[in-house]
Amino acid sequence: MREILLVRFGEVYLKGLNRPVFMRALVRQVRHAAEPFGGHAWLSDSRIYVSDMSDAQACAERVAMVFGVHSVSIATEMEKDDFDAICRQASQMMRDKTGTFKVRASRSDKRYPYDSPKINELVGGYILQENPQLRVDVKNPDYVLVIEIREKATLHIGRLEGAGGMPMGTSGKACLLLSGGIDSPVAGYMIARRGVKLIAVHFHSFPYTSERARDKVVELARILSQACGRIDLFIAPFTQIQMNIHQLCPEEMTTLIMRRQMMRIAGCIAARERAQALVTGESLGQVASQTMEALACTDDVCSLPVFRPLIGFDKIDIINKAEKIGTYATSSLPYEDCCTIFTPRHPLTRPRLDAVREGEARLGEGLETLIQAAVDGAEKVVVEDGRVLQDPGHPQEAEG
Amino acid sequence: MIYLDNSATTKPCEAAVQAMHEALENGWFNPSAAYGPAVRAEKRMWEARELLANAAGAKPDWLVFTASGSEADSLAILGSAARFHGGKRILLFAGEHPAVLRTKAQLEAMGHTVETFGAGPDGVVDLPRLVSMLDEHVALLSCMQVNNETGAIQPIEEIARLLKQANPQALMHVDGVQGFLRVPFRMERSLVDLYSVSAHKIHGPKGVAALFVREGVRIAARVEGGGQEHALRSGTENTPGIAGFAAAAQWMLSFPERAQALRAVKMRLYERLRGAVPLRVNGPDPGGESAAPHILNLSLGVRGEVMLHALEQEGVYVGTGSACSSKKREMSAAFRAMGAQKSAAETAVRFSIGMMNTLEEADEAAQAVLRCLQVYGAFQRR
Repeated sequence: MREILLVRFGEVYLKGLNRPVFMRALVRQVRHAAEPFGGHAWLSDSRIYVSDMSDAQACAERVAMVFGVHSVSIATEMEKDDFDAICRQASQMMRDKTGTFKVRASRSDKRYPYDSPKINELVGGYILQENPQLRVDVKNPDYVLVIEIREKATLHIGRLEGAGGMPMGTSGKACLLLSGGIDSPVAGYMIARRGVKLIAVHFHSFPYTSERARDKVVELARILSQACGRIDLFIAPFTQIQMNIHQLCPEEMTTLIMRRQMMRIAGCIAARERAQALVTGESLGQVASQTMEALACTDDVCSLPVFRPLIGFDKIDIINKAEKIGTYATSSLPYEDCCTIFTPRHPLTRPRLDAVREGEARLGEGLETLIQAAVDGAEKVVVEDGRVLQDPGHPQEAEG
Repeated sequence: MIYLDNSATTKPCEAAVQAMHEALENGWFNPSAAYGPAVRAEKRMWEARELLANAAGAKPDWLVFTASGSEADSLAILGSAARFHGGKRILLFAGEHPAVLRTKAQLEAMGHTVETFGAGPDGVVDLPRLVSMLDEHVALLSCMQVNNETGAIQPIEEIARLLKQANPQALMHVDGVQGFLRVPFRMERSLVDLYSVSAHKIHGPKGVAALFVREGVRIAARVEGGGQEHALRSGTENTPGIAGFAAAAQWMLSFPERAQALRAVKMRLYERLRGAVPLRVNGPDPGGESAAPHILNLSLGVRGEVMLHALEQEGVYVGTGSACSSKKREMSAAFRAMGAQKSAAETAVRFSIGMMNTLEEADEAAQAVLRCLQVYGAFQRR
């Protein structure tokens, strides 16, 4: 008898001939998630099992975060031949419970001496006899004890909801524009959950934004990497471009023109890193640069598709999601980021593309060089599985 | 590195570090215990008490060691208010550190009425206005010795005299964290009843501070326990911190001309900048009598935080005097107290000088400021 995890997966079922590709990716990632706990994962009967983990609860929680996992249950696996032992184990598992329950048995081994209704009846009767505090309710029970008879017998109660989505890496690679705010980490998470590997670009405007603002973004990437795996975060120097925009362009369009340069830089980094799309945290109408007209002006400079998974979300929905994925508290730290430092008093909400292009043209021919400098000058920070693996900009001890 | 943020904290002097090391290695016994080494630890603590009391012009048994200046302020204000019978009027200077201003909620919960008094445009308490607020119902008044942001020296002895005229029983508390050993003050010769000081602002360690409580002044403890520090601050004494505190004070005292030395560095910096760039002083005239020798708060036309980070790139560390944290954009108490403009608060940079700074550093820092202004001066939020 031992404790195992039953890992169920969702949408991978829908796949046709390329299903093995998705399955292999999923098994690999469940295996990776279970590894720190000494867990051993394998695929059998359209289910992934994990055994030998040191801490079943912690391991189950970690495995449930794997994209593509629908749910996880901690189960007891035992020999199916000793039916009395199964009854005793079932009763034991219900011992500290009160209220109502039912037993739901299923068997793929059709030669088993009892059929499913009989198992329900026998095990349920035994549990009642041993636990007089419990009652049976087959319609709406507080607890469902599930017994599966396959090669072995497994028993479990309840399940942890999994992250859902598609196995990481099965849908390509995208480049997230990661600010220090609440929205962009959520957008990154949502796209990663669809099986997309992420890289991220952050714009740093020292001395307008501080070392703390930069560290905050590294921390956000680190939190994301718990679920999203490795993320290469590129921190692009943005001060000069911002200063030029501020000095040369019409005030009411500075934010839009800045967004266009961000998209250009992210696009260049994405192309270099072979990412196939850009991801932003924009939500329709949230601020002036996120109206339909403004988004059209931003998209004007993008050759890659731009994914905006939050486009139809209310701020409160985004905040709830941020809390769920664990980025909200960090996003709420009060350090200024580059999006807010030169905010115009009255930004355009219905910009005309030709006017914005004209305003941007005031940046002159040096713009290409500045953009290339930001692309080439971007520092690379690597985060993976909740750890910062590489951070060249980590503040060094000041010299005495 | 040029460190000009000494009002935030100072680098511990070598003497303090050595004294702490010695206390940790050899003097670590509990001073309340009965055996020889513990008695010696207690004796060293007593010597520290004498030295610090002497530095403040107070008596050794007035001194209560605490873990921070904030704790000393809380003990003074909340501890004395807890002993008042019935609701009293309590006056706080509007430009105080949060350690004083934020006692308001607890004071009100005790049933007292809390009012604040402001400053003139130079950051110095508006005395006529204060006098109009004084009467026999005022039981406690708290006013800082030196404002931590503007460097304004407050007329605390005069305030104490006026307070006692209105109500001889009233208590006067002074937060001396920014003034202790930099601005002359003898507690014994004043009418001040409670005086807070802190070690890490005078090149001593963090985690140790003191409240001087004049004899006869009755206050209630905020921490109960084994009855240490006249039962006003229980808890085994921080002997290494106390040793470091005393050593730092002794080191400071070894410079009889320390205020002049600090002032010389400050004035050098000010002179190098004045005339070279348009600037505005936040607080009293730096050369005047109301200006603390070590604090210079200037608005240089660039947002404070930007200037701070730009100077950081140059290896010069300063503070943003207004402490306007980026997203909140609220003016700090000190700036509000003197009726400052929002633009002044947003662009304020605080240079605070310590005993380790030199005139050459002032020159270099001024050069760095000018370079930063050249780059960032033209780019401002509109």
